[in-house]
Amino acid sequence: MKLEPRAAAGGGGERVFDNAEGDMETEEENQDLPKKGKAQGRKRASAPEGVVKQVKLSRADLYKLPTNEELNQLKETENLFHSSLLRLQIEELLKEVKLKEKKKQKIDAFLHEINTLLSAVPETLETDLANQSWLPKDVKVPFLQVPSSVKGKFRFLPPATVTVVGSYLLGTCIKPEINVDLAVTMPRAILQDKDNLNQRYHRKRALYLAHIAQHLSKEKLFGSVRFTYMNSNHLKPILLLQPQGKDEKLVTVRLYACPAPGFFKPSRLYPSKNNVRTAWFLEQGSPGEGAAESPTPHYNNSILCDTGLESNLLFLAGAGADFPGMRDGVALLKVWLHQRELGKGLGCLNGFMASMLVVYLLAKHKISQGMSGYQVLRSVLQFLATSDLSATGISLSKDADSSLPTLADFHQAFEVVFVDPSGLVNLCADMTASKYKQVQFEAKRSMEVLDDRTVDGFQLLLMTPKPLIRTFDHVFHLKHVSKLQGACKKMQLLNELMDRGGNYVAAALPFVTSLLARGLAGRVLLLTHSLPQAPQWPISAEPPKHKDAGHLSFGLLLTPEFATSILEKGPEADRPEAAEFRKFWGEKSELRRFQDGAICEAVVWGAETMCQKRLIPEQIVKHLLCLHADIPESSICYTGAVLESVIRVGREPAGTGEEAMVSIVRSYDDLSRKLWNLEGLPLMVTAVQGTHPTLRYTDVFPPTPMKPDYSYHMRIKDKESLLPLAEKPCPAYIAPMKVVCHMEGSGQWPQDKEAIKRVKAAFHLRLAELLSQQHQLLCRPVATHTDVYKDGYVFRLQVAYHREPHILKEVVTPEGMLKYRDTEESQQLELETLHLPYLTSSLHGLQQQHPAFSGTSRLAKRWVRAQLLSDSLSDECVDLLAASLFLHPGPFTPPSSPQVGFLRFLHLLMAFDWKNSPLIVNLNADLKDADYTEIRNEFVAARLHLPVMFIATPRDKRSSVWTKERPSAQILQRLLVLALESLRALEEQLTDPLGSQDVKMVFRPPLDIYDVLIHLNAKQIPRHLEGVDRPAKSFSRGMLKSDAPVKTLIFPVVGYDPVQCYLQELREAFGDLALFFYDSHGGEVIGVLWKPSSFEPQPFKASNMKGRMMASLSCEELVTVPNVEAILEDFEILGEGLVRSVEARTEKWTI
Amino acid sequence: MAAGKGKPVAAAAAGAPAGYTAVPVKLSEKQQSPHYLYVKEHKVREGTDNTYPPHRTLFVLNIPPYCTKACLSRLFSCCSSVQSVNVCEKPGPREKPEASKSKFFNLKTVPGFRVAYVVFKNPAGIQAAKSLSLQGPLVISSESHPVKTGIRKWIASYAAAVVDPAELKAEVDTFMQAYDQKIAEEEAKEEEEEGVPDEEGWVKVTRKGRRPGLPRTEAASLRVLEREKRKRARKELLNFYAWQHRETKRENIAQLRKKFEEDKQRIALMRAQRKFRPY
Repeated sequence: MKLEPRAAAGGGGERVFDNAEGDMETEEENQDLPKKGKAQGRKRASAPEGVVKQVKLSRADLYKLPTNEELNQLKETENLFHSSLLRLQIEELLKEVKLKEKKKQKIDAFLHEINTLLSAVPETLETDLANQSWLPKDVKVPFLQVPSSVKGKFRFLPPATVTVVGSYLLGTCIKPEINVDLAVTMPRAILQDKDNLNQRYHRKRALYLAHIAQHLSKEKLFGSVRFTYMNSNHLKPILLLQPQGKDEKLVTVRLYACPAPGFFKPSRLYPSKNNVRTAWFLEQGSPGEGAAESPTPHYNNSILCDTGLESNLLFLAGAGADFPGMRDGVALLKVWLHQRELGKGLGCLNGFMASMLVVYLLAKHKISQGMSGYQVLRSVLQFLATSDLSATGISLSKDADSSLPTLADFHQAFEVVFVDPSGLVNLCADMTASKYKQVQFEAKRSMEVLDDRTVDGFQLLLMTPKPLIRTFDHVFHLKHVSKLQGACKKMQLLNELMDRGGNYVAAALPFVTSLLARGLAGRVLLLTHSLPQAPQWPISAEPPKHKDAGHLSFGLLLTPEFATSILEKGPEADRPEAAEFRKFWGEKSELRRFQDGAICEAVVWGAETMCQKRLIPEQIVKHLLCLHADIPESSICYTGAVLESVIRVGREPAGTGEEAMVSIVRSYDDLSRKLWNLEGLPLMVTAVQGTHPTLRYTDVFPPTPMKPDYSYHMRIKDKESLLPLAEKPCPAYIAPMKVVCHMEGSGQWPQDKEAIKRVKAAFHLRLAELLSQQHQLLCRPVATHTDVYKDGYVFRLQVAYHREPHILKEVVTPEGMLKYRDTEESQQLELETLHLPYLTSSLHGLQQQHPAFSGTSRLAKRWVRAQLLSDSLSDECVDLLAASLFLHPGPFTPPSSPQVGFLRFLHLLMAFDWKNSPLIVNLNADLKDADYTEIRNEFVAARLHLPVMFIATPRDKRSSVWTKERPSAQILQRLLVLALESLRALEEQLTDPLGSQDVKMVFRPPLDIYDVLIHLNAKQIPRHLEGVDRPAKSFSRGMLKSDAPVKTLIFPVVGYDPVQCYLQELREAFGDLALFFYDSHGGEVIGVLWKPSSFEPQPFKASNMKGRMMASLSCEELVTVPNVEAILEDFEILGEGLVRSVEARTEKWTI
Repeated sequence: MAAGKGKPVAAAAAGAPAGYTAVPVKLSEKQQSPHYLYVKEHKVREGTDNTYPPHRTLFVLNIPPYCTKACLSRLFSCCSSVQSVNVCEKPGPREKPEASKSKFFNLKTVPGFRVAYVVFKNPAGIQAAKSLSLQGPLVISSESHPVKTGIRKWIASYAAAVVDPAELKAEVDTFMQAYDQKIAEEEAKEEEEEGVPDEEGWVKVTRKGRRPGLPRTEAASLRVLEREKRKRARKELLNFYAWQHRETKRENIAQLRKKFEEDKQRIALMRAQRKFRPY
């Protein structure tokens, strides 16, 4: 079953391409198909790597005469699609989501059976509408009957007609949910004159369905008979039928009950009319005196919808008749909507509306019948992006009947207006303005993506899901929607409640969103909410209450410039608007005097650090909801910064490191200025470039100013340096921050690599001398660098000469020809003095544009390290991955909070096709379209020789310097698995407001895969406090408080981390036998994984006897195996004083 | 830690590949399972490599990381007095010793498990060393000569990495003086030879002369070739003849076809990976 459609799809695909070869094949096609499917399978098996290779066509194939068909095809592709790839992609996608012919036959048969069953449902006697005792106990009326009393009589009569309506007939029905809509027309005799009043019609409808359900549930034909609400509208239950047995998931037939055509008088149901009486709704005895009843447009609309089901179908069918592109276009639109979670729930933009929109555009000549599906999609998006249905609605109605309500009438009643062909129904009645804004926003973003030739629009638009949590910078959940009942009361929304049949969620939502939109104003780009989803329920259960719609989520897209401002400036105190401002903000509003002398109403939010400022929207949301909607803070679950606890430094009031980094950058700027102006250097300083991650704002825990406590250390005689003491806990880690200092090129530089090294050493000495003379800085030079202790930080100056990499590359051939060949040394130097400064300055710039970059990158790094993979993946690579999220946000907008950035980082890792595509990170926008093509082509050509993870940047188009050595294929694979799992777990945590919200869980590595665990002594771990689960107490690390009144005259211990020394020794000694994994931020355990290959007995080789010993496998043969027991003891010996215990999990391996 | 206890580990204790003898060695008495050094007399074919004296050189394999050169020399001195020890990463002829060993530059240590060539003063040392296998394991770290590992070692190497600026300066200065002198000599020599024909009458063109030749670098020769090519391309007329026109059209279609094939392949691949399931 599973294989079959694929084979057919393969054959179908071939068919499209092959038609140039001639038509004679058509007769044989049936026999041909399975053969081709097989051939495809074989081809796949022979290329197990799954890597795209360069196509080599023979000359004859390339230059044969083109046939007419081929030319047409090529031309069509050029005209109707962006590229042939897009065309093929879309064809494949449609094949995947569309219904197969075979299944259609099954569905048709099923529908026929339903039809016969429906006409056989027995009649009942007439009873009062409120008296439902005739209904058996095992079926409950799928309607919330509040208030319960209602006038009218009901009896069941078999349906007058049963017709298939909706997408199934139009062929726009797509997976995963294949729905067939059946309109069941209730005979006229059931309905009474005033049924449009007080939910009478709705209740009859529900009873009608209940009776049908009760009878159908007895039939063997159905696998399940359930109820749900149509588009989650509580007034409109529908009956869901699924076939029996293995086809159960194949199709869901949805029964809509609708009134006999022409029964309701349209004029009674105009948006300005009232059909729900207040007295009835509030169960007051007599109608209120004189008070005019307010209109009930949503209620009216819900009745009118039912009257037009069939005519709308005919209307759509008529439009789509000779327009094949429409079917594809609507299918694509539905996929687009589905990926954005816009296509389901109360107030969605569903497939039906999408089809109507296409027809509208066709009528307006914005779409023509010759267009392809892709073009239809494009035109619809274009329309959505450029029009505003919440301000100027559109109508499909053609007759100019003046009695019909005008668009203005509709706007009065609804937030979004799209009127159907009858001129009566607003298709977008339930949609809130903020939801529509989201649709509009998405369409705009999508158009940008489509117009950008450098990205794969297909992938971004149609294949990338955009769940709320990954799309919006901040998301908050309303834990209990029942709190909205209180909100309705507070906001006095009785009329809306009546209009919505008591659904307080739907009634309050527009008001809550507009309240928040006003409060957040400039801080957000977009505010939206999730669509309430109605569950399905078995017919014997009571219908779900309004509060059962689950929690309601809101998403905010922040504007980075304003979201963190602590001030909300209002009007001047004596202006009339001031009162309103005060009313809106409540007690938070106070009078303030500003610098320009104005005295204004203003709200100031309390926030000192950046991480608190990022949460100002939370303060606003909570304050406003509490003030205006009576929603207590406790029922709001705000997820904007829950992840930030893992990058928070120090004790509670401290922020997430932004301030610390700013102070470091300030100190660094000062140092570089001093270097520039140093007097007495033989050559000029041409550039000072920082390369430490802190100087590009991506260091997980930026260094803090340190003052060493002399009494805690040993001193080296005559050298003015401190030394750690073996018996004391290891001193705090002071990270040296590398700064490259470029010296002017000059003829005085020697042109020999050894001599250059000496000259550089001389410069280091000289720099140290001058800095301490002229600026009284504590310096310590060695041959390769000079450490400078400044403001409690240590900077490591490294002199660079721009021609040195060149000189290192020089090779003289025997013929005397001078050639340049990369050597390890030259590449290393280029990395340090060329690539890293470039990366650092580019990312420094990026941070200025996107303040969330720092947090994102640091969270990502923290995660990689927490998974013990930091040594398997370079930091710069993680930085680039994070940067790509901002430079190429794909279908999203650039992240404005670290949390969403991190989620997308995980998604990028997991979803990116590392095998077949290069990740292009366009730093400083230096790459042009042509460069992209060039990079991609070269990548494909040389794929097998390139690193498994390929990241190209403007200065590094070919070699991906940061991923060259690491990660290996296995590590990448592991990384992807971990990313997938972490993302899943994290999103689950973040979207479930009632759960534990334990997000640190994804930062705790699974340890069960390791063969040996080396437990470390926390005393000797200098960065112990940086652990994910911060230890309650740690050791004194020999540092004075930063405000201690001592002047440091002796150089502190720099860059001394025993664990790193240990790891280095381990890797050097046992790198051939095992892999070592460690979390450099205070990990207490080193994971060791044996390399399977080295554990296999190998024949003796003198060059390969490292840590091995002889063993006799069979009697004669001698082989070598690792001397595991001695090695395990070596682990302890090498780490004497650091290792607490070595835990060998012998059950996991055998030699 | 009972990994593979039942396996042939015990049997292998004395096992050694042909020609080698296994000598157990451990850091201290505390260590339970020893490592094994595999030793044999260093022999090479006549005339290939004579960096080590024959009959007196012991070749040692699999030296644990904490066992230093000094340790080795001490361990083997019980057999016969040791003349020299050379520790290297893998077996092979001795690399040319650096002309001047520097305390500050090109510090290369050989990490991990290594091999060594131990030269005895006396050929008898070889036999004595081989017989070590019969005794109990050799102990590397003794009370009189403790070997630092772990924290103490790292602190020591941290201390060692702190240099005395004056000493460094002195070394740099001497090196640079020697270098400058060498360069000066070379230049003087070049100057001297400038324009002077050798015995066959050839004059060497140097960069110093009145007409310096092109530098003999790869880049320069490529540049020349490139210039040639460009010159030729400039002369050619495009779209002049009808066949050229036809050719470009044909080329265009061929390009499209190629692209199409590539795309098809890509799609087939994606289909195989089920990349078209939108959700």
